[in-house]
Amino acid sequence: MSTTTPVKPTAPPNTTAALTPVMVRLKLSLLRNGLRQSAGRRAAYIASMVFSLLFAALQLLGLLLLRGHEHAATVVVLLTAVLALGWAVMPLFFPSGDETLDPTRLVMLPLRAKPLVGALLAASLVGIGPLFTLCLVLGSVIAVAHGAAAVVVGVFAGVLTILVCVALARAVAAANTRLLTSRKGRDLAVLSGLIIAVGAQVVNFGAQRLGRAGGLEPLEPYADVVRWIPPASSIAAVDSAGDGAYPVALAQLALSALALGALLWWWQRSLTRLMTMPDGSTLAAAEQSADKERSTGLSRLLPAGRTGTAMERTLRYVWRDPKTKAAWVTSLAIGLIVPVFNALQGTGSVYFACFAAGMLGTQMYNQFGQDTSAFWMVAMTISSPRDAYLELRARALALLVVTLPYAALVTLLTTGMIGDWGALPETFGLSFALLGAMLATGAWASASYAYSIPQEGHKNVAPGQAGLAWISIFGGMLAAAVICAPLLALTIWMHLSGAHDWLWLLLPIGTAYGWLVTLGGLRLAAPRTANRLPEILAAVSKG
Amino acid sequence: MDEAVRVEGLWKRFGEQIAVSGIDLVLPAGKFIGLVGPNGAGKTTTLSMVTGLLRPDQGSVHVVGHDVWRDPAEVKARIGVLPEGLRLFERLSGRELLEYTGRLRGLPGEEVDKRATQLLDVLDLAGSQHKLVVDYSTGMRKKIGLASALLHNPEVLFLDEPFEGVDPVSAQTIRVVLERYTASGATVVFSSHVMELVESLCDWVAVMAAGRIRAQGTLEEVRGDATSLQDAFLELVGAGGLQDGSSLDWLGGGAR
Repeated sequence: MSTTTPVKPTAPPNTTAALTPVMVRLKLSLLRNGLRQSAGRRAAYIASMVFSLLFAALQLLGLLLLRGHEHAATVVVLLTAVLALGWAVMPLFFPSGDETLDPTRLVMLPLRAKPLVGALLAASLVGIGPLFTLCLVLGSVIAVAHGAAAVVVGVFAGVLTILVCVALARAVAAANTRLLTSRKGRDLAVLSGLIIAVGAQVVNFGAQRLGRAGGLEPLEPYADVVRWIPPASSIAAVDSAGDGAYPVALAQLALSALALGALLWWWQRSLTRLMTMPDGSTLAAAEQSADKERSTGLSRLLPAGRTGTAMERTLRYVWRDPKTKAAWVTSLAIGLIVPVFNALQGTGSVYFACFAAGMLGTQMYNQFGQDTSAFWMVAMTISSPRDAYLELRARALALLVVTLPYAALVTLLTTGMIGDWGALPETFGLSFALLGAMLATGAWASASYAYSIPQEGHKNVAPGQAGLAWISIFGGMLAAAVICAPLLALTIWMHLSGAHDWLWLLLPIGTAYGWLVTLGGLRLAAPRTANRLPEILAAVSKG
Repeated sequence: MDEAVRVEGLWKRFGEQIAVSGIDLVLPAGKFIGLVGPNGAGKTTTLSMVTGLLRPDQGSVHVVGHDVWRDPAEVKARIGVLPEGLRLFERLSGRELLEYTGRLRGLPGEEVDKRATQLLDVLDLAGSQHKLVVDYSTGMRKKIGLASALLHNPEVLFLDEPFEGVDPVSAQTIRVVLERYTASGATVVFSSHVMELVESLCDWVAVMAAGRIRAQGTLEEVRGDATSLQDAFLELVGAGGLQDGSSLDWLGGGAR
């Protein structure tokens, strides 16, 4: 028998120089392994790579064409800032995008933080993202580099910009690893899609404004600030050097270098802490109740009995449950954005203000689905249509606590921006009538077409219940429109027949109409809810 | 004998599968009752139908003399439930959950607060009462669920797998609370597939398998001549021991 000498573990590579090739190879393997998937996913992988490279090439071309344009520096500086912002938020929204970004995977290795930071930084320079960034930075430098000095500064600036971007992403990811793997992080992930959606609305609006302004001048003041913010400051340095302002160029370059140093220090500190402290789950379990949140403040203002109790729970859920919160914030944002932005663009009408009431009214739909299977706790306490009526009314009241002032505010704001104060009473009247119709149909739909809302991920309907959700929301909205039709007809008739002096009557009529419709809807929905408790519970327990 | 629960001809079918096939069950009041059976025997389905959370296809259920489906007001006020596989309102803190449940049950606010404080103390949850239930461990969830089921002092308590996934310390706490509760004349009906637990806790047992009741009666009656409830149970559901030596003979020490 041959005896093999036991393999002695060599000392772990604890210098940046020794670690770097290991990390870069790891990154290359991960990239290559992206190709070793099923045919469909491989095709998607390659397509996304080709697409981003094509996009980068087009950007590069565009930036080259920009050279010599009077606003070239403005564009380039702002573009770099947006790029850096992208790098900063990427790891928060797509934490699983780059596995080497997750430092917890390296925790078990006998490595020190300092050499690790250097090696990881080098490894992060490998990939599609950095290549994309390189194209953009290269184009940006070329677009503004005029003269030999500017070219020299440009080389440094380019390298600095890419390093700052990459270090930024790494530092943010490392600092938030604990958050991203905890319950709060998962809650945040549910909200992230929403932030992107609302952000897209704002960007879209900004672009339209810019297009109407017909030039890039409006951007100048922003660029003047951003040119002192790293890493955009290093690109601005190229421009400054081209103008002969060498001290300014040096200062801007130094600012970026300083930022890089600070980011690396921050990253290293987070890494050290991550590798030497227990992970989030252990901490959460050991953590004692730090927040002495007493539950008296809110309940003291609410009525006693089921009404106040259910209202309080509903309002707490608006704030604490990520899915409910996301739905509410979306409704609030869209309810404001549509009328106000339309008014800003001059295409608005006072009647758009009804959008706020309509959007918030949708929150009444699928009330019990928002409870998830915890609905059993409610079901156990409902033993008569009267109980169900109180429960539904409490939920409608909780909604009104937020919706009434908000709809009123949006209406006032829209009317003020358009300046058509005469239309205020009828807009209020129509808003309240619409709100009432939404609450009434929402209560009925909640009782009749409940469906589950999955708690994880971005889906809002459980598989197999899309039809139910569709009937609930679109059928309900259609019904709400039909219910509002008499009031709409009255409004139109009053306008056409010239009864302008009496239009204010629509405020009391609309309010009373909305109120009555809500009461009627709740009365109809209550016995249906009380009779269908097991069916509703089954429908909302699928997520 | 006072009856806590009377079930007659109860059926439930999910698509092709029959979950509960025509069971009759009479459970005496004032006892600690165990509903035992293997996974998939229909225990959860039965308890859901008895507590009014699931509508049966056929049959009737009476709890303390009232029909669950015709007279829900009388029944719901008298029972406490801890279901398995359903959520709680997890975005409330432990104390908020109790305050919410108690007030929905129609108890006066001060009484709810007093009872909640005592329950949180006894169940060893006082330290985490302001933490959200979503951050609770399995044992803590079962305990807060038990607290909200006990809050209105029900006559009959239905617990579905109350000890499943619970650590020994929490299990002992739950046990002590339940024993004190039954000692005062209340009824506990709980389901489990851990025979030792049922044997040590219960004085009345119903054995369920494949949607049918195989035996019901006092612990002694159901155990019969068998040495333990485990053996009696295996005999009842027809799952004999492993045949000796036929398979897996390579497993264990000796030749590799």
